[in-house]
Amino acid sequence: MPFKIYGFPPSTCTRRVALVCKELNVPYELIPVNIPKGEHKAPEYLKRQPFGVVPAIDDDGFTMFESRPVARYLVAKYGKGSTLVPDPKDIIATAKFEQAVSVENNHFDEPAGELFLQLVIKPMRGLPKDEERVKALLATLNSKLDVYEMVLAKQPYLGGDILTLADLFHLPWLYGLTEKAKLDLVTSRPNVARWYQEISSRPAWQAVKDGA
Amino acid sequence: MAILKLHGGKQATCTRRVATVLHELQVPFELIEVDVANGAHKSPEYLKIQPFGQIPYIDDDGFLLYETRAICRYIAAKYPEYGLIPTEPKANALFEQAASVELTNFDPSASKAGLQLWIRKMGYPFPTDDKIIADNLETLEKKLDAYEAILSKQRYLAGETITLADIFHLPYGVFVTYAGSESDSVMNRASRPNVARWYKQLISRPSWLAYLDGVTTTTAY
Repeated sequence: MPFKIYGFPPSTCTRRVALVCKELNVPYELIPVNIPKGEHKAPEYLKRQPFGVVPAIDDDGFTMFESRPVARYLVAKYGKGSTLVPDPKDIIATAKFEQAVSVENNHFDEPAGELFLQLVIKPMRGLPKDEERVKALLATLNSKLDVYEMVLAKQPYLGGDILTLADLFHLPWLYGLTEKAKLDLVTSRPNVARWYQEISSRPAWQAVKDGA
Repeated sequence: MAILKLHGGKQATCTRRVATVLHELQVPFELIEVDVANGAHKSPEYLKIQPFGQIPYIDDDGFLLYETRAICRYIAAKYPEYGLIPTEPKANALFEQAASVELTNFDPSASKAGLQLWIRKMGYPFPTDDKIIADNLETLEKKLDAYEAILSKQRYLAGETITLADIFHLPYGVFVTYAGSESDSVMNRASRPNVARWYKQLISRPSWLAYLDGVTTTTAY
């Protein structure tokens, strides 16, 4: 029974899950949830995902949601030998991994997502940009990426010496802000640029970057 | 083995989250107060340890770690017998789902409204904004409707037993109630009896009650 992703191909979080499937060579079936038509708020979908967002997954009857936990589950179940999540017996490597995952979620995800909304989604829908908000978001994201620049000057990846999910989780927003919004947040910082170049050129990301 | 050092603030929101989990796991710790009022958390020496200039961080016999949920996970991993992070694969996946729900569906609005409500309650001289509080509480109400659906089928967010995912809702889960009363607040509404039940269970835990007046060095349990 193939791994089922209930999602929307261009959605950030759907692509995040598809990326990890590709990294682990897990074949998946994408069952479309039509966001523009509001299918994600329909009662049948809310039974799968009570917050009414995509994606949700069904792995031979085991159901769950939230893209980052799904990614962790994929590595745990299908990633034998994968180093995308450190061995839990290595408490220190795991702690540093969790620190990096927390940084992505607490410092990066919200301003990056809102900036993408302001600069790419709103124009696509013919809505006016909020210049004040864009300025504030750029200031926040720039200050966070200054820290990333410092951290990545001392180590190759956010969790330490090995590429992990903590790095890959950044891809959907970074790709959008760099390639679609054409910002220089990444390109203006040599260590961030090196790191982004490496993670974004992985075949798994290339396969899903424009649609899961 | 040196005692674990928690560098933070006695009343600080995220310091309290870590202290709650340390207490849950009966881990002795020393609170070392960071002089935030005088900008100590932005000094070059501090930024070498916590580059985002925030509190808290821990020093566990020389191992330095920041981000409260990472700290809590690290401590819980050291004491797996408490079961705050399930290890069986499906239970672990459902734990991660619940922890992510807290992070993406609760924390953004609860921390924004909660921080401001906490500032007002403590009488700190920082500006607060009625609209930020109101807008975020409104978002939170909708999110908690989904929580009601989840908690109507199981006792806690990851299943039948408490995990870190539930405990992570402290302290902001308490601070957002400052906008209401003991009998009617966003976490305790008649219209969401299961959320109310779960919330009351959280705030009656000894680990929460231990630091109601602020975090203190705890060497014995």
